[in-house]
Amino acid sequence: MDDSTKRLLQRLMRRIPSQMLQTILDKWAHLSREDLHSLDFTQPKWVLTEHLLALCEENGLRVKHITELEMIYIIENPNQGMWHGFQLLDAEEDAPSIELTQFKEQFKANLTELISHVSIKIKKHTDEAIWIRVAWGDNFTKPYHLKPTYVVHHLQTPYVFVTGVTSKHKPLLNQALVLATRYSSMKDAHLSGRNLTAIRDLLMRQYQQVFPTKHPKPLQEKNPVPRNPNIEKEQAENTENRLQMACEAFGDGTLPQLQKAVYKLETKFRDNSNKTLTGREEPFRGVVEFASTNLLESLRHCVSSGMASTPVTPLLSSITQKGRNYFVITDKGV
Amino acid sequence: MSLLKPFSKLPGLNTANILLVENEEQFQQKLADTVVLQEKTVNVNVLARSLPLPMENEESRPRIDLVVFIIHLTSELSFQSAETSLKYLDPGYFQGKVCFLVTNARNVSVPPERLVSVRKLAASLHCPLLCAEDQTTEGVTTAAHRLLAILKVAAGLVPMATGLYLSTLTRCTVPSDIDQQNFE
Repeated sequence: MDDSTKRLLQRLMRRIPSQMLQTILDKWAHLSREDLHSLDFTQPKWVLTEHLLALCEENGLRVKHITELEMIYIIENPNQGMWHGFQLLDAEEDAPSIELTQFKEQFKANLTELISHVSIKIKKHTDEAIWIRVAWGDNFTKPYHLKPTYVVHHLQTPYVFVTGVTSKHKPLLNQALVLATRYSSMKDAHLSGRNLTAIRDLLMRQYQQVFPTKHPKPLQEKNPVPRNPNIEKEQAENTENRLQMACEAFGDGTLPQLQKAVYKLETKFRDNSNKTLTGREEPFRGVVEFASTNLLESLRHCVSSGMASTPVTPLLSSITQKGRNYFVITDKGV
Repeated sequence: MSLLKPFSKLPGLNTANILLVENEEQFQQKLADTVVLQEKTVNVNVLARSLPLPMENEESRPRIDLVVFIIHLTSELSFQSAETSLKYLDPGYFQGKVCFLVTNARNVSVPPERLVSVRKLAASLHCPLLCAEDQTTEGVTTAAHRLLAILKVAAGLVPMATGLYLSTLTRCTVPSDIDQQNFE
């Protein structure tokens, strides 16, 4: 094993938390049973890494096996790094009938045509998602495995999620994806976050949604919490209305975990008390950013507790309705 | 204007009613549950977010003996909402039937001017100002206990004591040098 492979393995071992190590090595399945048993998982990690390195050398494992280990780890823990959502546009006639082997061949062929030294690994996960790991090299150097790009795509949906791609390689990746999936172009969905499951749920609308009804009383089958007859709520209807509107705008139950919403303003400054800034021709550029550990949960609470006025402003509700968290606001609208 | 009037309804036998007004609607529920638990003679808690109270419940609503404004010092909105709700109370309430309850008074991140303005408001209305701690059960129990004491007097259940008498003893005062307070 050469130096760069060793370094890759060492880096990977530092990343994987000790609790998950045993399960991931089991899934990897490149070490024989005796080898796995010989690893003592109670030792400190650096000792374990040395031992593992020795075992890999013995078994003659190479870069492609190590990258497989990395991929298993990332598939188990996708919620790290920054994921960006993209949407494919204008399907051609045979786009819905693409299946896995065809996609694989096409993607690999396209990408290696565009850039000769590139390492691609494609894997299908149990929940029908295709995971692609790409390590980029250029015409003179071998692929650099320490900064790979991961792409997740669900076949037959027009959505792609990417992490770790630089602006240099983005157009190449886009082109390969577009050709392989038989669409005509790909655009940025303006949705990004640390949590892949959240982004996917938001774009594919897989969270619990609430639809507006004319009769918002709860179903009779639900057992209401026994209310103390001595306690009466005066403005209960208002509270219920607010909760209903909050859930309509943001959804019910557990919400996808978004970290930020960014609004880039390109509108003219409008405040009559400030004469120097009002009335200028150029737009007043500003950026409003909402950040939180779980943004949608905070916004829903703001609305249901009355801190934000109802009906919910379309600026906030379009985060869930349009599935994006980066907006550019001009004077004519979003 | 739909003012809340203190004496427009008949009192019930062995009942005392307390109205908890809080913008955030969080502490009031805990407080209401504890108050009802502590006192077994019937008392009805009415919870509201702000005054004026909805007209539909005018008939069925019992006579309110004590109005408590819960103000969270961590939020300016809480204070402003309490201030605007004050306008909907008949002046008859301010003779011992209104109380201010303040939370997070010890919190370092709260601007001290807010507590000063609440104190000034309570002092100008001759009402008591209580400080409560809403995060622990002991805090909630203590606050409920104190409120019950005031409620019993305001409802006339304590012989020889009226709300007006009690309020002259317990009302909030603001020392004249509070504006020049410094901690050197």
